[in-house]
Amino acid sequence: MRASLFITCYNDTLFPETGRAVVRLLERLGVEVEFRAGQTCCGQMHANSGFRREAFCQARRLVRMYADAEAVVIPSSSCVAMIRDQYSGLFEDLGDEPLRREFAALAPRVYELSEFLIDKLGVEDVGAAFPHRVTYHASCHGLRALELGERPFRLLGKVRGLELVRLENPDRCCGFGGTFSVKNGGVSSAMLAAKLDDVLRTKAEFCTALDNSCLMHLGGAMHRQSQGMKTIHMAQILASTEDQPAESMQ
Amino acid sequence: MSALAEHEVIDRPILDPALAPPFPVAALPLLRNTQLRGNLAHAIDVIQARRARLVEEKTDWQALRAAASQIKDEALENLGALLEQFEERCTRAGGKVHWAADAAGARKIILEILREAGVDQVIKIKTMTSAEIQLNPFLEASGVHACETDLAEIILQLGDGEPSHIVVPALHVNRGQVREIFARRMGIEHLSDDPKALTEAARNYLRQKFLTVPAAISGANFLIAETGSVVVVESEGNGRMCLTLPQTLITLAGIEKVLPRFNDLEVMLQLLARSATGERMNPYTSLWTGVTRGDGPQRFHIILLDNGRSSILARKTGRQTLRCIRCGACMNACPVYRQTGGHAYGSVYPGPIGAILTPQLEQMRHAQSLPFASSLCGACYEVCPVRINIPEVLLELRARVTDEERKGLSRFFDPMYIGLRAAHAMFSRARLFHAAQRAGRIALGFFTRRDGWIHSLPGVGAKWTVSRDLRGLPKQTFHEWWQGRTRGTREQRRYRA
Amino acid sequence: MSVSADSRKQILERIRSATQSSAPAANTNGGTRQYQIRGKLTAAARKDLFVERLREYDAEVVECEPEELENAIAAQLEASGRRRFVAPPGLPAGWLVPAAWKITGFEWDIDHDLPAGEIEKAEGVLTGCFCGVAESGTIVLHHSAMEGRRIITLLPDWHLCIVRATQIVETLPEYFDRCENRGEGSKGTKVQGNAPIGEVPGLVTWISGPSATADIEMTRIKGVHGPRFLNVIVVNDGDQGSGAGG
Repeated sequence: MRASLFITCYNDTLFPETGRAVVRLLERLGVEVEFRAGQTCCGQMHANSGFRREAFCQARRLVRMYADAEAVVIPSSSCVAMIRDQYSGLFEDLGDEPLRREFAALAPRVYELSEFLIDKLGVEDVGAAFPHRVTYHASCHGLRALELGERPFRLLGKVRGLELVRLENPDRCCGFGGTFSVKNGGVSSAMLAAKLDDVLRTKAEFCTALDNSCLMHLGGAMHRQSQGMKTIHMAQILASTEDQPAESMQ
Repeated sequence: MSALAEHEVIDRPILDPALAPPFPVAALPLLRNTQLRGNLAHAIDVIQARRARLVEEKTDWQALRAAASQIKDEALENLGALLEQFEERCTRAGGKVHWAADAAGARKIILEILREAGVDQVIKIKTMTSAEIQLNPFLEASGVHACETDLAEIILQLGDGEPSHIVVPALHVNRGQVREIFARRMGIEHLSDDPKALTEAARNYLRQKFLTVPAAISGANFLIAETGSVVVVESEGNGRMCLTLPQTLITLAGIEKVLPRFNDLEVMLQLLARSATGERMNPYTSLWTGVTRGDGPQRFHIILLDNGRSSILARKTGRQTLRCIRCGACMNACPVYRQTGGHAYGSVYPGPIGAILTPQLEQMRHAQSLPFASSLCGACYEVCPVRINIPEVLLELRARVTDEERKGLSRFFDPMYIGLRAAHAMFSRARLFHAAQRAGRIALGFFTRRDGWIHSLPGVGAKWTVSRDLRGLPKQTFHEWWQGRTRGTREQRRYRA
Repeated sequence: MSVSADSRKQILERIRSATQSSAPAANTNGGTRQYQIRGKLTAAARKDLFVERLREYDAEVVECEPEELENAIAAQLEASGRRRFVAPPGLPAGWLVPAAWKITGFEWDIDHDLPAGEIEKAEGVLTGCFCGVAESGTIVLHHSAMEGRRIITLLPDWHLCIVRATQIVETLPEYFDRCENRGEGSKGTKVQGNAPIGEVPGLVTWISGPSATADIEMTRIKGVHGPRFLNVIVVNDGDQGSGAGG
């Protein structure tokens, strides 16, 4: 099995440790990982900000780049949701039927990380060890667009030493929403405060998710308030073993 | 400080999209109002819990949603013919059908009917459509007092407040505040803040009006083309009073309210109450057809209002907005609405549905900040009983706002616009993207503290650091790490941009 | 009114150009009815569910056999502590003057177009119904001669409604199906005033519990403007068909 890693623009820039963890995890599971150096962005930021033409160009770029990939793995639920929910419409509206067909052929081979592990590789126990108290934040896109359901819990449940604490109001948004966090900074901060209350109440050491954008938001508030809890992408937990623990977030 | 004093420091919210401040500005005083947010969160939690329980017991919920969206789509597809059919059947049954292209037209028709009936007072059932056309202040200025009869609307009318929710308009007011308003405006000396006593006070206050005021105004939840009937869904019985006791009844209905068949109600009535108030069925639903001799109003007028709706009908993505049955489930589920309540939306239609409906009704001339008042979490779509894909419509409206910006002057000044255009240029070539990453590392380096975190940023960035730190950029991007790891392999050269 | 006529033309033109379609809607239920139409319960379970749901709305419910109905009505009237009642013109005479009941002194106003002021003086109202829907605890009035004009079930503070078990359906769609076959549900009653258009009723009131509000802090308060008390007698008429009135 050969998987092409689409790291996403913000993980590449801000969270390289997540990418490193995906590589380590997949290689440990016997997957050959490739990384196409021309990759940039899926177009989510532009599509969600009303720049559809720009998003279209980025979408076209991605579809062409991965047309021949055996599988595309993306450690970001919102970027996968962008591809799945918006690409078809973009290609249709901006009148590129061949591209829409090309995309339709690629779409079934695009996986969010937990989907790839469970649906494609058929593993739940990835041989990880992470002896910490952890809570899981279901990002809105993972929850509603991808309907990841119990997948994240099935993976976390098999991690040695991991104590999982379920979050209250698990379906409530953290308030990030891309440019929303800046355009509506006040409301976004209020949503974040409400979410953070629920997260901190778990008294976990780590808050994990399948999307670093939510974690950047939550982690930024935790750091501002000097809370002891840290954020960590689930790839890093799953890559972690007794011999080689996860790279520190800081 | 008494509950009221706190209530009074808030400026009266502006619910006219043409005059209201942008959402982020309107939200600020609301975010600081802990009393209001507390009232709101409590009320929402109660409705949400009830709704969740009742939806769960309904095993065919998804099939009902599918049927409802199908019925509404079919109605919208055939809207012209169905309205004509409704008109013909309603007229045959003794009703008088009027058409109003806009708010001013509807107001004029209503006033003429009231003048003809010779009344200076009219009782009203809660109708969002009448709020949309700003009917009450118009009637007041024309010498007709419009007396609201829904408990929440009385609270707002007597307390000089504005609705913050389409189903529970006084959601943001607590019992202490209601007690104060009723005691002051109804002249009751000793009134407890027990909701039972407050409800009793409203009952007594209105009883005489129901029996004596000769004209009423209602909205409509559904119009039935097949029979020319009108349906009103309510809880308190004030609706039945207005629909039954006065001699003249005027119903104001948006053109999108029409359903093809009587039978379609078997779907809509199962969805509406569960979604709106978390009940299996609301206490009272009334259906009438024109005029019935000896029973109820003997003069019935209905006004079919367009006011921007036909322009929504013409939009491929936007059309689904007109499926809305005004249940309010989307606002109850919305994490943004939960923080601000309805007043921030600058319209009588708040929450996610308001964020898509208002700008479209205004034909994108006003309320352009509303499509951005969402984190796109999708909770609204999940609960919508007629499956309106609100996030999808929000994105389409954002694109329409941006397309306007492309033509305007703001493209030269707006930092978000410039930033996103620059980002696009950068994403179109990996080399540029990588160069930007390196430049960003240097630039943000100046703001990064010794702990590796950024605590404050200038410009647009300050809107992030107002409540959140940002981790400084790492020394090495992922692709730099990968490059180092596999330097020299053929693979990597093949895909380099 | 020329404003309205101009608007009519304008609106219909806008709609036509937006939809590019003027085909009248087909007169069949739109799309597929994949949701639950038929109930699954036995007659007894259906009746029990109806009673349970009504009670959840704070309605008072008693059950009786057909031959006990008049006594049951009398007992309800007596227990209500009220004396003056209004009734629609089509009720069986036995319901109004409970022959076997020792206490007399109930005052009946039969609604032959009584003025609102008279109805307002009544303390209660007694009616039949068109149908009961178990799943939602709903009583449906079509305002026939046994159900009366809308006003009589609105102004009095106390409503006693007689529902025969054979009038109870399990699901709301079953009620709608029954509307297309009107004879079954309202045997023996004549439609008064408002004749049905086609096969569906022209006047309907769906009642689910006494009037209520939750407008103040989402606290459910029973009884705002409509009747504050809803009492129901369910008559176990089994398969005897139109046993109403006994």
